[in-house]
Amino acid sequence: MSIIYILIPIAMLFVLIAVGVFFWAVRTEQFDDLDRQGASILFEEETPKAPLSGKSSSNNNEADKR
Amino acid sequence: MSKQPCFHCNEPVLTGSQFITQIDGVDQVMCCPGCQAVSQAIVDAGLLSYYKYRTEPGSRQTALIPESLNHFSAYDLPEVQQDFVQERDGREEVTLSIDGITCAACAWLIEHKLQKLDGVERIQVNSTTQRAFIRWQPALVKLSYILSAIGSIGYNAAPFQLDDQEVISKRNSRRFLLRLGLAGFATMQVMMFALALYAGYFTDLETEFRDYFRWVSMIFAAPVVFYSAQPFYFSAIRAILSGKLNMDVSVSIAICGAYIASCVATIQGTGEVYFESVSMFTFFLLLGRYFEQNARQKASVSSSNLHKLVPLTASLVTAQGIEEVPAKKLQVGDIILVSPGDVVAADGKIVEGISGINESMLTGEQLPISKAPGAEVFAGTINLEQPIRVEVTAIGQDQLVAEIIRLQELASNAKPAIALTADKLARYFSATILTIAAMTYVVWRQFAPEDAFWVTLSVLVATCPCALALATPTAVTCATGLFTRLGIISRNGSVFEKLPKIKTVVFDKTGTLTCGSFSFGDIKLFEGLEKSRALAIASALEQGSLHPIARLFARIPTKLEVTRQHHLVGAGVEGIIEGIRYLIGSAEYLKVPSEMIFPGQWVYLGTRNNVLAAFEIQDKLRDDAKETVAALKAKHIELQIASGDTSAHLQQVASTLGITKVNGGLKPKGKLELVESLRSNNTLVAMFGDGINDAPVLAGADLSVAMGSGSAIAKNSADLILLGDHLHRFVEAMNIAVKTNQIIRQNLAWALGYNMLILPLAVTGHVVPYIAAIGMSASSLIVVGNSLRLLRLKP
Repeated sequence: MSIIYILIPIAMLFVLIAVGVFFWAVRTEQFDDLDRQGASILFEEETPKAPLSGKSSSNNNEADKR
Repeated sequence: MSKQPCFHCNEPVLTGSQFITQIDGVDQVMCCPGCQAVSQAIVDAGLLSYYKYRTEPGSRQTALIPESLNHFSAYDLPEVQQDFVQERDGREEVTLSIDGITCAACAWLIEHKLQKLDGVERIQVNSTTQRAFIRWQPALVKLSYILSAIGSIGYNAAPFQLDDQEVISKRNSRRFLLRLGLAGFATMQVMMFALALYAGYFTDLETEFRDYFRWVSMIFAAPVVFYSAQPFYFSAIRAILSGKLNMDVSVSIAICGAYIASCVATIQGTGEVYFESVSMFTFFLLLGRYFEQNARQKASVSSSNLHKLVPLTASLVTAQGIEEVPAKKLQVGDIILVSPGDVVAADGKIVEGISGINESMLTGEQLPISKAPGAEVFAGTINLEQPIRVEVTAIGQDQLVAEIIRLQELASNAKPAIALTADKLARYFSATILTIAAMTYVVWRQFAPEDAFWVTLSVLVATCPCALALATPTAVTCATGLFTRLGIISRNGSVFEKLPKIKTVVFDKTGTLTCGSFSFGDIKLFEGLEKSRALAIASALEQGSLHPIARLFARIPTKLEVTRQHHLVGAGVEGIIEGIRYLIGSAEYLKVPSEMIFPGQWVYLGTRNNVLAAFEIQDKLRDDAKETVAALKAKHIELQIASGDTSAHLQQVASTLGITKVNGGLKPKGKLELVESLRSNNTLVAMFGDGINDAPVLAGADLSVAMGSGSAIAKNSADLILLGDHLHRFVEAMNIAVKTNQIIRQNLAWALGYNMLILPLAVTGHVVPYIAAIGMSASSLIVVGNSLRLLRLKP
């Protein structure tokens, strides 16, 4: 049973780390917009190479940059 | 004839519309050129993922985007920018409020569209608050260009005025989340050790380990008591200092008392410990507060977003010519040039030119008022017909608009705050608990002095106000969520209590009951002229005018050529088409014989000698005005109309809708007096309005409802905002509010019932810590679960 004298302080250390992580996450505004971040994994970071609309996006970048 | 909804915004596609965008190789039907342009822009930019992953349809693009593009240039003036743009090492930063964000896909779409612009360094869109943070290099790209890029994919972006409330509530929300999270972590840990301690009640736990667990619990509970529970202490101290009692007083006494007593018990190794109760107690209470805080923050964010900063610029007449300056730079005595279509930048007197001025923002009336040199014009009104020169007579706080805003502030200060049932209940509850606790202590002192303190403590802990504290906020949060789904923004929690009690509803007419724009009614034809021909002639004559009635005609496609067009301000237009001189305008202008003058508002088309056609012009009722009025009547609510209008149209609207009490010709102050006199009979009055002229009365009514298309200042003083201008939503809101009140009452009844049950047990000393903990969490969870039933309502 006396093992708990070691295990419980270790558990406390873990909780302390978890609380620290939580505080950091709140401070860095990670809880400000939950819908957005949940969906962000779905979107490609790069624009699709050849969208099937028959127009390639790279040609149109010129228009955007005027 | 397609039954398919618009691919972009999901609105029904009206027959005969031919707006098609090719998306992913498939021709998709759109409902309007706006949606078509937007979807084309999205496809062209290679942002197809938007359509793939969006969870909500886009917002409707009825306002054609190209028209609004030229309005952004004023945002580039340095004097205008200093209000909302921050400069940081050669880069400029701005936070914009964006209309039309419906889901996370919109945020992604805007980010990707803007990242492609040269000079935009960082763009971050928050879909919850509907805002974007942008950092750009002013050398490479202008703010107006960024705004128009956002406009081209169908969103409307503008800088906004941050609500003071929002700054405070954002800080509070974050702090609440920290406190809540910490309390959650600590409660979980303490509860684990508490379970081990409970086991000790039934088996024998060695004292050595029991004390060890207690010490560990004490350490874990410390941050909860010293950090998480702080708001309760402050609120309790404030209440006591002002000589009142509130729930937080008994809460604070319970938390501090239980913690200190448990610490003493731990150190001495005697008695009971309540660490898990204290932590859970704090956690549940904070949960309720956090819900409340969140609902409040959502409201303040949406009201900030409604407060768009539209830079008002003026063309100042100087010795060198015309100079574009921000309106706030104007001085009394300056001469400004106001072109047709421009907003008058300051109160002043016309010194040159005759024109029709649209004063709808002040009076609610769409028809322009003719003004000649010497007449007064007011800031915010729109010049429609001819260029005029205006001498500025008042600036800033001396202007008419500022006066209306002052009236609004006075009205909102005079509005009595409604004492919420939950708050009243809390006060009695606290007083009762503290009295019972004191009595328990006194009585136990007589019989068993050594137990007196512990029993009193268990009374304070067991009579958990958690369920009571959660009863209202959870229900209000769920109902607010429902409202948002319906397109109603509720700006404070008291609306749910007020809505079912409404006895009188007062409507503004123009822009509220009616659409606030003109449409054709009856068309009478003489001399054998065909309708299409008459409309084509009228349209040709009215091309190029900004008068709202002229714009109605000008929308009709026409191939006819007009020569020698001549406008007569406030009367009509004449011009030569195919060799014949035609006139269009008022009855006086055409010298119409009296037998051809019909009741209502008519525009006549004719030649020099005879009348060819007469068009009835009306401000159409909103589609759902009739059913809304009928539904409200069915609820036995008294209905009235209060309008600035004096014309026959007012009576016509009232008789169509079946509203008998009509008050016409009211100025902002008159409307306010009307509502105040209604309120003096102790009835709750709701007011609907949309314009600047309604702002004071909206602030003064018990419950005020603004239309989403209304002016920012009207929305600012409203409790409810109907996005999308569906009047009928108000009736639905009333039904939801009734349900919400039922749920709140059930919650309160349950919380009080639980306390009645546990109180005798606690007073007689039968409540041990684990009973207190189980009762507390069970009662709180039942309240939360009951509130969640609201979300199952089908709006």
